[in-house]
Amino acid sequence: MSSCKSIIKSFCLSAVAISMSMGVVHADQLDEVLQEGVVRCGVVLDFPPMGYRDSNNEPEGFDVQICKDLASDMKIKHEIVGLTWAERIPALVSGKVDVAIASSSDTLERAQTVGFTIPYNVFQFVAVLAPGVTINSWEDLKDLKVGAAIGTTYESEFLKYKEANWADADGEYTSFQSENESFLAVKQGQVDAIIVTDTVAAINLKSGKFGDISLGAVAPFGADIVGMMTKRKAYGWINYLNIFINRDVRSGRHQERYTKYVGGKAPSLASPGVYY
Amino acid sequence: MDYVFLWRPVMEALPQLLLAALVTIEVAVISMAIGMVFAFILFFGRSSKSWVLRLASNVWIEVARNTPALFQLFFFKFGLGAIGIIIDSYITVVMALAFNTAGYMAETFRGGFKAVPSSQLNSARSLGMTFPQAQCYVVIPQVLRAVWHPMTNQFIWVMLLTSLGMLVGLRELSGETQFLNSRTFRTFEFFAVTALIYYCIAKLMLLLFRMLGWRLFRGG
Repeated sequence: MSSCKSIIKSFCLSAVAISMSMGVVHADQLDEVLQEGVVRCGVVLDFPPMGYRDSNNEPEGFDVQICKDLASDMKIKHEIVGLTWAERIPALVSGKVDVAIASSSDTLERAQTVGFTIPYNVFQFVAVLAPGVTINSWEDLKDLKVGAAIGTTYESEFLKYKEANWADADGEYTSFQSENESFLAVKQGQVDAIIVTDTVAAINLKSGKFGDISLGAVAPFGADIVGMMTKRKAYGWINYLNIFINRDVRSGRHQERYTKYVGGKAPSLASPGVYY
Repeated sequence: MDYVFLWRPVMEALPQLLLAALVTIEVAVISMAIGMVFAFILFFGRSSKSWVLRLASNVWIEVARNTPALFQLFFFKFGLGAIGIIIDSYITVVMALAFNTAGYMAETFRGGFKAVPSSQLNSARSLGMTFPQAQCYVVIPQVLRAVWHPMTNQFIWVMLLTSLGMLVGLRELSGETQFLNSRTFRTFEFFAVTALIYYCIAKLMLLLFRMLGWRLFRGG
């Protein structure tokens, strides 16, 4: 009798153990987010109008609003985690955030470490000049001191360009830790120019907070197509986010959000000749 | 954690990391040397008869010891930048660390000088030495012996503080690591190897200081 009991007991225990281990193995990040009831979005908050803090010090902006809309569609809560550019991938990999809605270009280097959704926005890169500095074309930057925020696509694109085209020029390059420091440095003349995206340049120039900085040339790197980033193996979660982006555009909410935070017609998210 | 460690990018970048480690050591040595000179000046300034020198030395020591090194660094970079004084990142880091070191070492020297009995100075003077001679040949060597261990600690501290350089765009060991990380996105791997390099530098420096101390003060 006692051996029968112990058999039943061990059977029950192993069933519990198996079901638990199955749960751990198969849980996609989507399941974890739904289970927690809160989606934690990593957003860069010194990148207006995509991410910034309003007068009440609350996170605001285009990327922040996407997180709010995502949470509302999923009928769960949202949490905004402020990140610097360089913190985005470590924050994802270490599980500090579920998704980085942080205007991240879909580069092949990043895709070796994290997963990407389909594009949700498009930018251009531009040079912003220190007070008193003028250039006639992009090529005039080659002998100047140029800076950019570390860990950004415009930093790596600029360095690639510099190496390929301006290898013998006297220009220097400096990395800054954040977009704010980058703008502070160009305002003070620590560097002659910084490379940034068109939207942040437009809003910071308009704000007047950075003195007599001016808009330089558009970088010849082409369009900067950005996606949301997740853990690399979170396939179910990426699929969900792709459908979210698709429906967001189809419903017109993407354009409404763009009009509210950036203004004008939202750039096309489709690349000509590509399925995506 | 569902993360696969890939070490190849770090191994390929190892020569760059080691070159950056040399920058770290160089900045630490220069900052420490300048800091020590100013620490002596501050120590004598503090016990000077002139109230201006006393006040200036006290303010320096108080600010250096009671504000974060990061603030001091940002003061030299962006604070001076705001009034149009633009300094190169390398010089900024050396200035900030020398400023910080001078404040701490001035206090250490105070302890060191107290440890040498005043009879030593008096005896030296009675042998016909001038005040500077008595300090140089009799007092300061004994002070150095007394402060050797705290000085070693301070040097290791300065070497580790050079990592703040990455915040103002200096490509020392941390700055280079952050830069390479932003190329490859292998954050954990790069910072793990860098931590190991820092550890090795610190241990090597401790060993050198111990050997030097043994050579200089073996009579004691």
